[in-house]
Amino acid sequence: MVLRATATLLALGLLAQPAPPPRRGSTIRGRVELRHDPSGAELRPAVTELGSHGPHDPPDRRRSVVYLESAPQPAFAEPQPRRATLDQRNESFVPYVLAITVGSTVDFPNSDRTYHNVFSLSKARSFDLGRYPRGQSRSVRFDQPGVVRVFCEIHSHMSAWILVFAHPYFAATDAEGRYRIDGVPPGSYTLAAWNDGAVRARREVRVGADGEPVDAEFSLD
Amino acid sequence: MSAPPLPRRRLAPGKVAAAVVCAVALSAATTSADPPVSLFGGRLRLAGEVSGTLGSDDPGYFNYSDYAVSRLRLFRIDLSAELRIASAVAVLTDVRTDNLDTPRVYALFLRLTPWRERAVDLQAGLVPPVFGAFARQRYGYDDPLPSLPLVYQYLTILRYDSVPARAEDLVLRRGRGWEVAYPVGASDPETGLPVIAGERYDTGVQLRLGRAPVSAALALTQGSLSYPLVHDINGGKQVSARVAFTPGPALVVGVSAASGEWLSRDLVAVVPAGSSWPSGRRQDALGVDVQWSAGYWVLRGEAVWSRWGMPAIAETLITEPLPALGAFAEARYKIRPGLYAAARLEHLGFGSIDSALGRQTWEANVSRVEAGLGWTPLRHLLLKASWQHDQRDGGRVRRSDLFAGQALLWF
Repeated sequence: MVLRATATLLALGLLAQPAPPPRRGSTIRGRVELRHDPSGAELRPAVTELGSHGPHDPPDRRRSVVYLESAPQPAFAEPQPRRATLDQRNESFVPYVLAITVGSTVDFPNSDRTYHNVFSLSKARSFDLGRYPRGQSRSVRFDQPGVVRVFCEIHSHMSAWILVFAHPYFAATDAEGRYRIDGVPPGSYTLAAWNDGAVRARREVRVGADGEPVDAEFSLD
Repeated sequence: MSAPPLPRRRLAPGKVAAAVVCAVALSAATTSADPPVSLFGGRLRLAGEVSGTLGSDDPGYFNYSDYAVSRLRLFRIDLSAELRIASAVAVLTDVRTDNLDTPRVYALFLRLTPWRERAVDLQAGLVPPVFGAFARQRYGYDDPLPSLPLVYQYLTILRYDSVPARAEDLVLRRGRGWEVAYPVGASDPETGLPVIAGERYDTGVQLRLGRAPVSAALALTQGSLSYPLVHDINGGKQVSARVAFTPGPALVVGVSAASGEWLSRDLVAVVPAGSSWPSGRRQDALGVDVQWSAGYWVLRGEAVWSRWGMPAIAETLITEPLPALGAFAEARYKIRPGLYAAARLEHLGFGSIDSALGRQTWEANVSRVEAGLGWTPLRHLLLKASWQHDQRDGGRVRRSDLFAGQALLWF
């Protein structure tokens, strides 16, 4: 339900505010702390196999995305598409969470010796890249905001998230959970912290015209 | 050990309703989850499939398995679990219920992985087969069509506990493997045996060595390919092995061999004195399997040659092992995200023997072509629809055109 609400919100292009963006904005920064251990079993019981599964990297479920649920209206008129990479390495998507703007293109290189078959059935963007070997890559352009769940058809334990935003005010956390959203115009906003498929927390923030950075910490259950 | 019951069951409406409720509840609980169900800090992992297949009536019994249920009219709940006792020790099990009958343990074995960095595994218990490739696929998810390949499912006129006294006894029963009995041994009609029982695991130990590009597996088990066993019925053991070569991610080639005693000691005890065993009492088999995939294509093929030893009891004597050769080729092509088309072409042929009725194959040859579509509207839900044409050169029903639909939930 939370995920659906998030997806809907994103798909609607978020809630625009009429204020014009200043030339320079402030920074919202902070840290997202997870109070639970997001690691868990990844592999399904391999009863039909003749032995144990080979080594693989578990997904980094600690990565979160922090974003503004509402943004100044001009931010939607100036999308900043970029090119991003979602690697397939040691039977894991790296990174586990990717946040991009509308119009961005994501490359899906295969860095493993085995085949992978990246696909998504998400409404925001469905695709199937077929099977391709190590050293090859396929690309997908994301023209619609929303949440895109990515899987490998061959390895059911592989999954990743791509969050497609209609504005530039978002950031993925680093390994320590830190984030930084730059250039935020003055105003009052709802800041959302998303982790592993759902918005886990929200908080109100006010960005002043003085350019002072705003600290916003999250602690997620 | 008793033989499988005869195919005469009907689904009670209450069971069907319960099954539907079960499936819906299960899907609601699992479609949002991606990792498997995990308990005790990840030591116990659970997964499963729930599938319902509804197809045409199959009066020729082309799709019946040795559990006496039609693959085209089957509701199955399949739960698997892996309990990790230590870093190198795990217990794995798979429990199934077909049409909500009493659940049966399909697999239950201990897996030892003594070296973390080496691909060496030892498994003991009710273990997956090493022979061929198809039988180790997940039941529904990896099979693009609702049916099983003939060589893994089709019921021949062979029985482990009942044998023909003469060649005429055999050829007169061609094409009647769903219900067969012979003058020697158990006299009640029961289902015959498939070339390879794709719905049963065997009991024993197996060793897996290596990963790509070359891997091998070797097993010592109680039963035979046609009749895998939990309890020994003849004191014999089956040796089976497969070597797989994976030169690159696109291609896997496997070569398999197996040999094991397949007739029960109760049967052997009642074979008349003076009979001989010129062809032995073993089932011997060789197999080749190939998979090639690239882009939106997956192509698979297997060929299995098998022969069964028989006693020579009375004229016309059966003096040679009874041979069979089964092969199938399968293709799957993805049309668009979540939608694929698939087809399988197969033939199961049998060797010829002499009898007073002339020279003819000891069992009726059978061929099948099947084509269908698969659609994945949600990641954990797969819907299949297929058309199947079967043709057999013996038995009461020689041709069938069958339609089937299958809904499969996995978690």
